[in-house]
Amino acid sequence: MTKSAEIYACLYAREFPTQALLRLRPELRDKPCVVMDGKPPLQEVCSLTRKARKLGMAHGMTQVEVDTFSGVTVLERSAREEAAAREALLECAGCFSPRVEEVSYDRSFLCVLDIAGMKGLFGPPEALARSLLTRVGALRITACVAVSSNFHAAIAVAKAPLPLSVRVVPTGEESMALAALPLTVLDLGEQQAETFLLWGIRTLGMLAALPERELISRLGQAGKRLRQLARGEAPHLFQPVEPAFTLRERMELDSPVEVLDALMFVANLMLEQLILRATARVLALASVSIALALEGGAIHTRTVRPALPTNDRQIWIRLLHLALEAHPPQAAVLGVTLDAEPGSTGQVQLGLFSPQLPEPSRLDITLARIRAIVGDENVGRAVLTDTHQLDGFRLETFSIDPFEIPSAQPAEAPPATLRPAMRRLRPPETVFVTFQGPRPRAFCFRQRRYSVERAYGPWLTNSEWWSATLWGCEQWDLVARAPDGSALCGCLMRDVLRDQWKMAGLYD
Amino acid sequence: MIRPVTPTGVREIDALLDGGLPVGAISEITGPETSGRTAVALSFLRHLTHAGRVCAWVDVSDTLSPESAAVAGIDLTRLLWVRCGVSKDATKPSADYKFSLPEKYLIVASKKKRLHGGGCGGHPRNEVKGLPNAVSGLLRPVAIAPRCAEPQRRVRAERETFVPQAQPSLPRAGVRSNSSKPWARIEQALRATDLLLQAGGFSAIVLDMASIAPEHASRVLLATWFRYRAAAERTQASFLLLTQHPCAKSSGDLLLKFQPGEARRDESTVFTGIEHRLEIERQRFTQAPTNVIPLRKSPQHANTAEWQSQTTWAGAR
Repeated sequence: MTKSAEIYACLYAREFPTQALLRLRPELRDKPCVVMDGKPPLQEVCSLTRKARKLGMAHGMTQVEVDTFSGVTVLERSAREEAAAREALLECAGCFSPRVEEVSYDRSFLCVLDIAGMKGLFGPPEALARSLLTRVGALRITACVAVSSNFHAAIAVAKAPLPLSVRVVPTGEESMALAALPLTVLDLGEQQAETFLLWGIRTLGMLAALPERELISRLGQAGKRLRQLARGEAPHLFQPVEPAFTLRERMELDSPVEVLDALMFVANLMLEQLILRATARVLALASVSIALALEGGAIHTRTVRPALPTNDRQIWIRLLHLALEAHPPQAAVLGVTLDAEPGSTGQVQLGLFSPQLPEPSRLDITLARIRAIVGDENVGRAVLTDTHQLDGFRLETFSIDPFEIPSAQPAEAPPATLRPAMRRLRPPETVFVTFQGPRPRAFCFRQRRYSVERAYGPWLTNSEWWSATLWGCEQWDLVARAPDGSALCGCLMRDVLRDQWKMAGLYD
Repeated sequence: MIRPVTPTGVREIDALLDGGLPVGAISEITGPETSGRTAVALSFLRHLTHAGRVCAWVDVSDTLSPESAAVAGIDLTRLLWVRCGVSKDATKPSADYKFSLPEKYLIVASKKKRLHGGGCGGHPRNEVKGLPNAVSGLLRPVAIAPRCAEPQRRVRAERETFVPQAQPSLPRAGVRSNSSKPWARIEQALRATDLLLQAGGFSAIVLDMASIAPEHASRVLLATWFRYRAAAERTQASFLLLTQHPCAKSSGDLLLKFQPGEARRDESTVFTGIEHRLEIERQRFTQAPTNVIPLRKSPQHANTAEWQSQTTWAGAR
């Protein structure tokens, strides 16, 4: 790649601690807010909003000084939320260029994108910068973008206090563009800043005009580098970062929350951000885990996984709400973390004559609601297990695969006759049996006495000899009649181990 | 107007009902125990699940036997089963009677499937390892004790320890948890049915109240059935209601009354099946409306059907 082909875009977000906190607290955006950093009682203001600055507040104010202002919201600096916001911004930058370098500063976010060769995809650099800003704006971060063919010139222009949010420096005019900027855009040491102040050097243009040899003799090699920076000629070895794609949002609550609805309000904002990030990659959320940091240090985690990946926020909110309602946290909530797994946004073309099926996302909500009514383990589809034991089945989550095409061929030939169905009694009801020899002759069931007309049996079943579980029963098919003439066909079981007679089921 | 119907799979009933049970309406099937209600409902679902449709079974008294459903030919993956009033301790298998057999006699089951398909343990040669010791451990010391002429070894008789686990305390008869009360079950079922009907997409919903005593079932408000009928009509679902006594009244399109079944006596050794009989109590839209008033009494439909069910183990007849 030739040198002239190089072009960089620098994304710069100032007052980052505040912006990262206000991203998930939109109600505070129009209010004066300050973010305090440091260990109490030595806290100072590390970042503040424009409204707070207009009130006369400044960086470095102490808690006592802040208390003299009324109507100011004071927030604690949160490294976790900043990390989450930084991750989101880097990922957003990654959508515009595969090569992104993060230049971290303590109180601001700065990353540089190598946008050489991106013209075909995103148009000229101005258009790219504008769409990048739009995307960043959707993350609720205010930033500015500077474009230049020199890496450091782009950073210096981005950091300059200019009213424009998109600043493009034409190739070859870097020194002219930088000339008017103050020296504060460079990271000067305290001593260097003092020296330049003594010399009367205030702008980069004045620094660039200094003779090189004399500058080096007075300031050493650092002087040479500063002059190169001021002229927009400093070389740079680009070190791209490769941020892992993780969909995670964290929020630490200002006060412990016990009401689920209030929590859902917070989760709603976080989900919005997650969905935004997933949509940028043409993905949908496949599963969401909500981890609640509780008072006392415990963590309460619930995972929701609908049948199909979806980006519908309402569905996610309902599913999370139902999941937390069914398993509520045992203490007040201090922090919320949402982890999402991305899935593909597969659309399926249904046939014109395919049968009507429940809508998967709606079915998920319906099933979650029914689960809340009857219990978690009592809804689903039955899967038979390979055993002769009574109730040899397990319930699995009911889901319909929309990609499965129902077989077009007709079902196998219907059985020639109807099969009698068994109605199981769970738990089996105790009966009192009278015997004639080895066969049951009469029994009492549900406060009625039945005389046995026919008894077929006994059929013996028992457990697998190789397993540790031991059971065995003797089964009798009975045709019985009550004194009033009503017939009953049932399956009587004798538990061999306990020697108990029970009615296991009725034929119907 | 053509009213769509779905066949039940029982030839006699389909002939009687001119095709089957109505779609988008409530069909009520009433009758005592052993009258064949469940078998007919399962046979009805069989047709729908094989056509790729999805059905739901709201089981008020938790009596559905998945084995029976499978025998009836239902595709169980397309049947949503909602079990109502199941208490947590009842879901645990109560029939388990566990012995903690000494671990040395059990082969540790491994989850990995090996090539030889043995399914438990590693290479077969390891299975024989230590077998002589294990066998002699199983036998009583007397069996392998040296005979009188042989040098006597001192064998300390060790008592085998088969420790039965503490038996789960059986719930006292008459004391039942709240969820097992009939009305609590019915309420759960009604709410679940409401949700299923609203969700739409289910071709058939069976509300199985066949084991609920009439005095409880009749407490369900008539407005509920009316709402269900409207929802079933909107979503074009066949709503099947199994009861012991008619409940839905005028909201039901079809009321089938099953007579008590009589056991077949074909064999003296096995239970072969039941003979069933049903009667149509009420059916809507049987006659096309006409302006002509006939002078004679019009020909009447037959309104009874008889059929037999046959168990799987009875064989071909």
